[in-house]
Amino acid sequence: MGFDLNQVIRGRVWKFGDSIESDAINPYYRYPTMEELKQHTMEVYRPEFPLQVKPGDILVAGRNFGCGSSRPGLVLREVGIAAIVAESVSRLFLRNSISRAIPIFIAPGVSAIADDGGTLEVDYPRGLVINTASGAQARISKYPAAIEHIYACGGLLQFARARFLREQEAAGVKTN
Amino acid sequence: MAQTMAEKLLSQHNLAGEAVSAGDFLEARIDGAMCHYHAAEPMHDLALEAGFQDGLPRVWDPDRVYVLLDHHQPTLSQKLADENALVRREVERLGIRCFHDSEPGIAHQMMLDYGLVRPGELVVGNDSHTLGYGSVNAGATGITRADMLYVLLFGELWFQVPHSVLVTLDGRQPDYPVAKDIVLHLAGEYGEDFAQNMSIEYAGSLVPQLSIDSRMCLSTHGVELGAKFAMFDADQKTHDFVKARSATPYTTLQADRGASYAKQIRVDVDRMPFMVARPHQFGNVAPVDDVRGVRINQAQIGSCANGRFEDIEIAARVLKGNKVAKGVRFLISPASQQVYLQCLKAGLVETLIEAGAQVITPGCGICQPRVGFLSDGEVCITSTTRNFRGRKGSQKADIYLGGPLTVAAAALTGEIVNPKEVISGL
Repeated sequence: MGFDLNQVIRGRVWKFGDSIESDAINPYYRYPTMEELKQHTMEVYRPEFPLQVKPGDILVAGRNFGCGSSRPGLVLREVGIAAIVAESVSRLFLRNSISRAIPIFIAPGVSAIADDGGTLEVDYPRGLVINTASGAQARISKYPAAIEHIYACGGLLQFARARFLREQEAAGVKTN
Repeated sequence: MAQTMAEKLLSQHNLAGEAVSAGDFLEARIDGAMCHYHAAEPMHDLALEAGFQDGLPRVWDPDRVYVLLDHHQPTLSQKLADENALVRREVERLGIRCFHDSEPGIAHQMMLDYGLVRPGELVVGNDSHTLGYGSVNAGATGITRADMLYVLLFGELWFQVPHSVLVTLDGRQPDYPVAKDIVLHLAGEYGEDFAQNMSIEYAGSLVPQLSIDSRMCLSTHGVELGAKFAMFDADQKTHDFVKARSATPYTTLQADRGASYAKQIRVDVDRMPFMVARPHQFGNVAPVDDVRGVRINQAQIGSCANGRFEDIEIAARVLKGNKVAKGVRFLISPASQQVYLQCLKAGLVETLIEAGAQVITPGCGICQPRVGFLSDGEVCITSTTRNFRGRKGSQKADIYLGGPLTVAAAALTGEIVNPKEVISGL
């Protein structure tokens, strides 16, 4: 499943604090299946989140989002989160999101301009997040071309297979 | 241009063959890959998702891929047993030669125990605590599972060269380990993400005195500070440790004089109190005196952070001739079979069991809700890696983090206490 960075996303905001940790996002120790995870993601911080989150909602967080173990935030995509926007993102969570083409954006100042329950517009092409009610804006840090390319491929898995096939073809090897 | 350790490491491993500096992107050549093939997202499933209908078609170098079934040994469920069986078939099919299959322990400790990491190497692992190999002057970091699939296929991976932070530790090594207290102090003082995406270089007068065990604790915990690498220079202790375990030649890594650091931090270890992280965040740190008197139900020593010989030795020293407080469960999990054996030969296990401690199988379980669950309202103090809510079962339990001495003192008295109050001669 890919993600087109060039689209503009508009959705209802769920606001979280600093150092949201990956055990809470993806508590697979306790809930090993995706169906269970969907019922429990983020409940440690906001018990109503898994019950009330709707497809198209946007998750806004403070610093160090996704700290802790290396776990992709696939469950957030599964419950319908259309974009994650944070002040800063933990290194492994960011790498996981890029690898799986999950829309995640670093926008210092986003916590101050976003209202919980309000509407946020995420405009990566223009490099802005905008509170549609107040008009307040924060800048998105643009990704380098290499990372934009991984998104365009649909993630690192697809990127890897494309490279493998290209190299096999160049070497004259027939593959499936 | 003068380079930091990270800049030098990544320049040497840059496929484009050019020197790189902080902020640059590159494709790097990988020297070794520690792979959890199984667990939450099995590599086989990712290969299928990538479109490889028969699973991963190859590994780039069967001698540089290390598969260790650490999180799930011995298996605690049918599902895990079946997953392990799949891994065994995959390892056979792909021709991976370094496979620790029938041995419980933490992969990171086993990588070091068995000499699979050497100074100057760029080693990746699909586990966040892979940074620990920086203790022996390796450039080591955690990567994601999708990254690992890429590494397994090509032996290469994209990186951004990190900025570096120089952490100077000054002081004298006391007669007990203080590495955990140092990390907690750093998280409390500078924030638990002060090294986000950065490379930590440890230096200072304390460093030559630090054991390899303590360096492993400091490097492993780099990730709790947000870091990409957490490295030590190689000294005689490093060479002795590595050469006793590996015959592979290596070139050490050292920063240039005049290298540029984004931050410089100095810690006066002599003046640092015992530190504790309160529930439920690593950075929620206080001196132990601020939380003294908190009654505990469980105490733990173990994990890739603090499950090594010196951590268990201090516990045995505290408990020798004493008893664990009534009603307290004191769980000790050596980080690997080699550590366990070292503890047995030194008589530590006998001392601990006589005192009423439980010595449990090496592995990651003590740091997860797999071994030693907590019930609602219970309190645990542990030397393991994380104190997130629910990390040991109940979301209504409180987990404190502390060094092994602080944990052992709490196990002895039944409450969080300054070790100096209960143990003479510190």
